[in-house]
Amino acid sequence: MSMPTTTETSTLPKNFHDAVVRWKDTYLSDFDFLIENWDQHFPNEPQLELCAYREKGMCDRIECGEQVGDPKFLRAGDLDAKRGHQLLGAIRAQASTEFGSIQQHRLTLARAPDEQDQMWVLRMMAEELRHGYQMLHLLLDDDWSSVSELSSADMVEEILSMTTGSHVLGAFNIDFDSFVDNVVFCALIDRVGKYQLAMQKQSAYLPMAESMPQMLREEAFHLATGVVPMRKWVTQAAAGEVYVTLGSLQKAINKWLPRGLEMFGDERGGGTNVRLGLKPQKNREAQELYYKEVAKVVADLNMRYLRARLPDLSLAQAKKTLARIVEGGEVVGGIAPERLLRAPHAHFFRRRGEPAFEMVGVDGEEFTDVDEYSRHLSQHLPESYLASRDFRSFLELLRQVDVGDVAAAEASRQAPSLRRVGGTCPCSKSVRWVVEATAPAVI
Amino acid sequence: MVAREDIRIRSLSEIDIGDIVEIDEKIGGEYRPQVWERRIGYYLRRDPEVSVVAVEGDRVLGFMLGEVRSGEFGLEEPAGWVEVLGVDPDCQGRSIGRALGEAMLLRMKKRGAATVRTLVEEPMEDLGRFFVSLGFSPAPLVAYVREL
Ligand SMILES: CC(C)(COP(=O)(O)OP(=O)(O)OC[C@H]1O[C@@H](n2cnc3c(N)ncnc32)[C@H](O)[C@@H]1OP(=O)(O)O)[C@@H](O)C(=O)NCCC(=O)NCCS
Ligand SMILES: [Fe+2]
Ligand SMILES: [Fe+2]
Repeated sequence: MSMPTTTETSTLPKNFHDAVVRWKDTYLSDFDFLIENWDQHFPNEPQLELCAYREKGMCDRIECGEQVGDPKFLRAGDLDAKRGHQLLGAIRAQASTEFGSIQQHRLTLARAPDEQDQMWVLRMMAEELRHGYQMLHLLLDDDWSSVSELSSADMVEEILSMTTGSHVLGAFNIDFDSFVDNVVFCALIDRVGKYQLAMQKQSAYLPMAESMPQMLREEAFHLATGVVPMRKWVTQAAAGEVYVTLGSLQKAINKWLPRGLEMFGDERGGGTNVRLGLKPQKNREAQELYYKEVAKVVADLNMRYLRARLPDLSLAQAKKTLARIVEGGEVVGGIAPERLLRAPHAHFFRRRGEPAFEMVGVDGEEFTDVDEYSRHLSQHLPESYLASRDFRSFLELLRQVDVGDVAAAEASRQAPSLRRVGGTCPCSKSVRWVVEATAPAVI
Repeated sequence: MVAREDIRIRSLSEIDIGDIVEIDEKIGGEYRPQVWERRIGYYLRRDPEVSVVAVEGDRVLGFMLGEVRSGEFGLEEPAGWVEVLGVDPDCQGRSIGRALGEAMLLRMKKRGAATVRTLVEEPMEDLGRFFVSLGFSPAPLVAYVREL
């Protein structure tokens, strides 16, 4: 029962490994800097390696759904069509998020105001690269020909060719505007990752389950990479520093939380995955737990802020004061309720799922007029984001839904309107990341 | 042997920072958020599964942080180190410390540790007795120290 756990380490076949290295040199060029300076920032911590880990000795029986108790699937070829399709979609989406987040983080990494925060984000990005690698390993270590017509090389090529705008999930198609985005993204979007990974740890496809434990360990650090700087920033804001204000943090939360909620999939769905034993929770269930957890993060940040603003209060007094402000709506010690952070209503600014294109405000208030709603959004979202293509296309779709030109469900399918500039077509003859193994080696 | 049915042991997470800061303040009387932000960041990077918290609902009642290391004091084989722990004073004596300790030892064993060590300062006899009740015994290892 308590045998030492063993972990198997492997690398991709050379041409695929090299493809990821080339991708890394393009999108994560600071990787080598991280490795060179690792010991200075993370002394005595094992250095990151680009490889895949499989944890052995995990539960080998299906843990949920219709076939609970049956042996888990070891090979893709043994999966029925439906399960194979769902699973391949999940691996592809997961891989897309891992590579996609690096493309987002890189835009603003250099703007980090603090060296430690920057190194943490850089390490997190390198771990995301490893996560992507791990997903490619799932594709390449098995034979998916019974599930997909694409060759494994083409599947890998497709994933490595995605860019911000052509990724599978909305959150990964939005550009970062400042280092606040790097941090808030870690705290909110990587948190969704934690839920997905924890569910996939129970997957009926054993190689998927075995891939999760190490990813989850790394994910715990990614969340800290978000939450620890946020805690620091609210403390600085309490001292009157002007760099990252509660207002700008709030707007970043408003920008990302709706996308995080949508990553769970439609609130009414997820039953198929549960039935097939691929995930233990339906979408709504997991999403609600996530939302509660975000509310806890926000409450802790408020406490951190309040205690820095009013340092003479005891713990008990601080708790009472916070309750008076947040629940009682009072202004205490110069702190007004609207000054503190809050998780926007779960239906705010949604474009997918049950509340898609309902005009719901940050506090759950309902709007009937698009112009009024767009003004509300403009007051609660980061100014730089308002100028983005993503926001513009949301409003355009919302207007079409509002006048009845497009049904909300159809608008959801269109959102975000993708700008496919990358050579995502697997048969395109443009530069490929994956070079055929038989190609002459470059010396 | 878990304290009460509604108390659950799980891996450390960044979401616990606020609660652990509170427990530490209740025990030691000092509010030290930065200390815990740094420490928890460290353990999360090292191995978030070996460090554990006891939760009731979504409130943390106790924590035990540590890790498995090799090469310490010239001991080559991996050994677990229990480094910091605390149980909310309102909840002490309800076997929460024991549940945390047992969970952590099991997790360390899974990581390949053959022994688990901890250091208790001499005046903290209570803590020593707690570890003895978890099956620890004083180790023949004398700590030397020098002021600089
Ligand atoms: C030590 C501590 C973790 C124990 O937690 P707890 O939940 O109260 O302990 P439990 O109820 O699980 O008790 C487990 C065993 O330890 C023993 N024990 C616990 N506290 C003890 C004490 N103060 N004196 C003697 N024995 C004690 C119990 O008797 C019990 O033994 P038994 O099962 O053989 O009867 C807790 O008291 C604590 O947090 N103390 C402060 C720790 C601290 O100072 N941390 C900061 C520096 S690291
Ligand atoms: Fe990841
Ligand atoms: Fe992550």
